[in-house]
Amino acid sequence: VTRAREGSRLVRRTFRTPLTTRVLLLSAVAAVLVGTVMVVLIVAVTGQRDAARSAFRSQEALAAGNQLEKSLITIENGVRGYVASRRERFLDPANEALSSYPGEVRQLSSLVDDDPGQQARARQIGVEIDDYVKLWARPLIGVARRQPAQARSIVITNQGRLRLDRIQRDFARLFARERAVINAREQRAEQRSSRATAIGAGGLALVLLVAGGVTLYLRRAVVRPVVTVAAATGRLAAGELSARVPARRHDELGDLARGFNAMADSLQRSRAQLEHSNAELKRSNAELDQFASVTSHDLQAPLTTISMYAELIERRHASDLNGGMALVDGIRNATQEARTLIRDLLEYSRAGRGELALEVVPVEEMVNRALEVLAGPIEAAGARVTVSELPSVRVDRAGVCRVLQNLIGNAVKFTVPGRPSEVAIGASREGTMWRIWVRDNGIGMKAEDAERIFQPFKRLHGEEAYPGTGIGLAICERIVTQHGGRIWVTSTLGEGSTFLFTLPAVETT
Amino acid sequence: VTRRVAVVLVLTLLVAAGCGGGSNKPNTATAGGDAPAPLVIGTKNFAEQFLLGELYKQALEAKGFPVELKENIGSSEIIHQALTDGALDMYPEYVGVLLSEVANVRRRPASPSAAYKTAQAFEQKNGFVLLGMTPFSDANALAVKPAFARRNHVRDIGDLADVPGGVTIGAPPEFRTRFEGLVGLAQRYRLRNATAEPLAIGRQYAALDSGRVDVAAVFTTDGQLASGRYVVLGDPRGVFGTQHVAPIISRSALRTRGPRVRAVIDAVSKRLTATAMRRMNAAVQLRGRASAEVADEFLRSQGLK
Repeated sequence: VTRAREGSRLVRRTFRTPLTTRVLLLSAVAAVLVGTVMVVLIVAVTGQRDAARSAFRSQEALAAGNQLEKSLITIENGVRGYVASRRERFLDPANEALSSYPGEVRQLSSLVDDDPGQQARARQIGVEIDDYVKLWARPLIGVARRQPAQARSIVITNQGRLRLDRIQRDFARLFARERAVINAREQRAEQRSSRATAIGAGGLALVLLVAGGVTLYLRRAVVRPVVTVAAATGRLAAGELSARVPARRHDELGDLARGFNAMADSLQRSRAQLEHSNAELKRSNAELDQFASVTSHDLQAPLTTISMYAELIERRHASDLNGGMALVDGIRNATQEARTLIRDLLEYSRAGRGELALEVVPVEEMVNRALEVLAGPIEAAGARVTVSELPSVRVDRAGVCRVLQNLIGNAVKFTVPGRPSEVAIGASREGTMWRIWVRDNGIGMKAEDAERIFQPFKRLHGEEAYPGTGIGLAICERIVTQHGGRIWVTSTLGEGSTFLFTLPAVETT
Repeated sequence: VTRRVAVVLVLTLLVAAGCGGGSNKPNTATAGGDAPAPLVIGTKNFAEQFLLGELYKQALEAKGFPVELKENIGSSEIIHQALTDGALDMYPEYVGVLLSEVANVRRRPASPSAAYKTAQAFEQKNGFVLLGMTPFSDANALAVKPAFARRNHVRDIGDLADVPGGVTIGAPPEFRTRFEGLVGLAQRYRLRNATAEPLAIGRQYAALDSGRVDVAAVFTTDGQLASGRYVVLGDPRGVFGTQHVAPIISRSALRTRGPRVRAVIDAVSKRLTATAMRRMNAAVQLRGRASAEVADEFLRSQGLK
C-alpha cells in the first residue's frame, strides 16, 4: 500500500510542472511577447523609412521630368527663334538641351523603374521625345539653314507644338500617376505605422497585463506559501509547537512546507520527551530532598538519645569505667559530628526552598553581621579584612547573610601557613545586577576544581587539614540561584581565590 | 514552428531592406537582342500618306520584315531632311514635289518618266534609292464649289483673276512659298488677287463648305472629289505637275535587308491605281475608317498579305 501511494505521488509530481519551470515558462512567454512587439515596431519603422525613400525617389522623378520638359520647351523655342530670325545664338540653349536630353530621359527612366506602368510611360515619352527631336527639331534646323522661307511656313503648321503638347500630356499622366504612387505609398506607410502603433500599444498593454498576472501568480504561488511558512516558523520559535502549514502542493514550495512540518513534528516530539524527563527529574529531586529532610530530622532524635545515654554513663558510672571513659568520649564526639552533619544536611535541603522574604538591604550591613559572627576565626587567623564601598540590594536578608558568612569563613579558613591572611570584599555593577566578590590570598585551587566545589559534600582536602562538612558552597549556590543570580570562582593554586556572585540591584529610577 | 519561420522571415526581410535600397539596374530590354532593326518608315502629314504608310508597313510585315511607322511628320522639306539625317529609312514621296521643293528643279520635266529619272538621279547622289513609281498621280489642284464656279464663270485657274474682290485660297502653309502654290499661280496665270489662308491638310473642304475660303488646294486623289459637290479647276498652263508616288529608301537599309524588301515594296506600289487610291481615301476621309483597316483590306484583296 505504501509503495503504491508513493508511486502515485511520484506520478503526480512528474505530471505537475516544477515551480522553476513554470517561472521560466512565464518569463519566456513575456520575452516572446516583448520581442514580437519590438519586431512589429521595427517593421513599421522600416516600412515608413522605405516609403519616405521611395517618396523622395518619386520627387526626384518629378524633378527629372520637369527638367526634361523644360529642355524640350527650350529646344522648341530655340528652333522657332532660329527659324524666325536665322540667328545662330537662338540655337545655343537649344543645342545645349539637344545634347543633354538623352541623359535626362535615361535618368527619368531609372527613377521610375520600380513601377512597370510608369516605366512604360517613361519609355513612351522617351520615344516621343526622340521622334520630336529627330523628326521635327533637327530636320527643321536643317531646312532653315537651306530654305528659310520653307522653314518659316513649316513652323506655322505647329506640328512641333502638337508633338510637344502630346508629350506634355504624357508627362502630365506620368506625373499624376507618380503623385498617386507617392500618395498611395505614404498612405500605406501611414496605415502600417498606425497599425503598428496600435499593435505596439496593445502589445505593451498585454505585456503589462502578463507582468501583472505573473506578479499575482508569483504572489499566490510563491510569496503567500513562503509567508505562511515564515509565520509558522515565527510561531514555532515563539513556542507554539503545534504550528503546521498546509502541504498539498507538489512543487518546491510543497517540499518546503512538508520539510517544515516534519521539523515541527520532530521538535514537538523531542520537546515532549524533554518535558517528560524534566518532570521525572524534578519529581526524583523533590523525593530526594524530602527523603533527606525527613531522614535528617528523624535521625536527630536517636542521636540525641545516644548522646544523652553517653552523658548518663559518664555521669553515673565514670568511676566504674576507668579506662572506658575514652570510649564514651568517642561515642560523644561521633554523635556530635553526626549531628553537625545532619544539621548541615537539613540546612542544605531547606536552602533554596520556600518563600524569599525580599527587602532592600545594604550589603555592608550584612557583611558586618557576618564579620561579627566570624570574629573568632578571623582573630584566630590574624586576617586583615578590607571592605570597599558596597551597594544596597533587594534580597532575603538571612539567606545572603549566610552566603557572605560562608564565603568569608572559607577565606579565613583556607589560609597558607605563615602568610598573613588578607580578605577583600567589594562590588561592581553588572547590568541589572550587582556583582559582589570576596577575595583571599589563601591556598587557591586548580582550575578543574573550580566547578566541582559547589557540589554538596565535595571537599578538596581531608577533614584533618581543614574541618567542615563540605556543604557550605552548595548552600551558597542554592541561595544565589534562588535570587536569580549566579556564583563562581576564579582561582590560582597557591596564590588565592576570588569568589563572585551576583544579586539583583535595587531599581534606582 | 510557423512562428519561428515567420520570425526568421521577418529578420531576413529586415536585413534585405537594410542592404537593398539602391538597385538601379540599367534597363536593357529596349535594345531588342538579335531581332533585326525595324525599317523606319515615315509619312507626311495628311491622310493619303497615312494610308501609304500602312500599305507598305503591313505588306513588309506580312513578309517578315519588322517595320516602325513614324506618321504625320510634316511636309516634304522636313521629312526629307529627317531622311537625310538618318532618322528615317524610307518614306513615300510625290516625285513632282520632290523635284520642285527638295531638288530645287524649277524646270518642269517633260513627262512623268522623265521626272522619275531626274528624281532617281538626285536621290542616287544623296545615297538614296528611288523605288518603283505608282500608277496613280496625286497632283495638286484647285477646287471650288459648283455655285461659286457658276456665279463667277470660273472653269480654269486663269478665270480666278477676274473674280471681283479677289479670292481666298485655303491651303497648307507652304502653299504661300511654293512654285506649286502662289508663286507658280502668279507666274503662269498672273493671279495677283489671291491670298492664301493657311489650313491644316484635310480642313480645306470644310472651309470651302463654310464659305471661309473661295478656293481650296486639293489633291486629285481626295475622296471628296468623287462626290460631285466640288469642281476641280483646269490647269492649262501646267502649274501643278503630275505627282506619282515613289518610295525613297536609304541605300544602306536596302543593302542590309536584301533584294526581297525592294520586291515587296514595288509589288505594293505597282497596284496603287488612281481608282484604288481614291476609293481608299474616301473610305478613310469620308467614312472615317481607320487607314490600317483599309490598307489591310486592300492588301488582302491584292494577295499581298
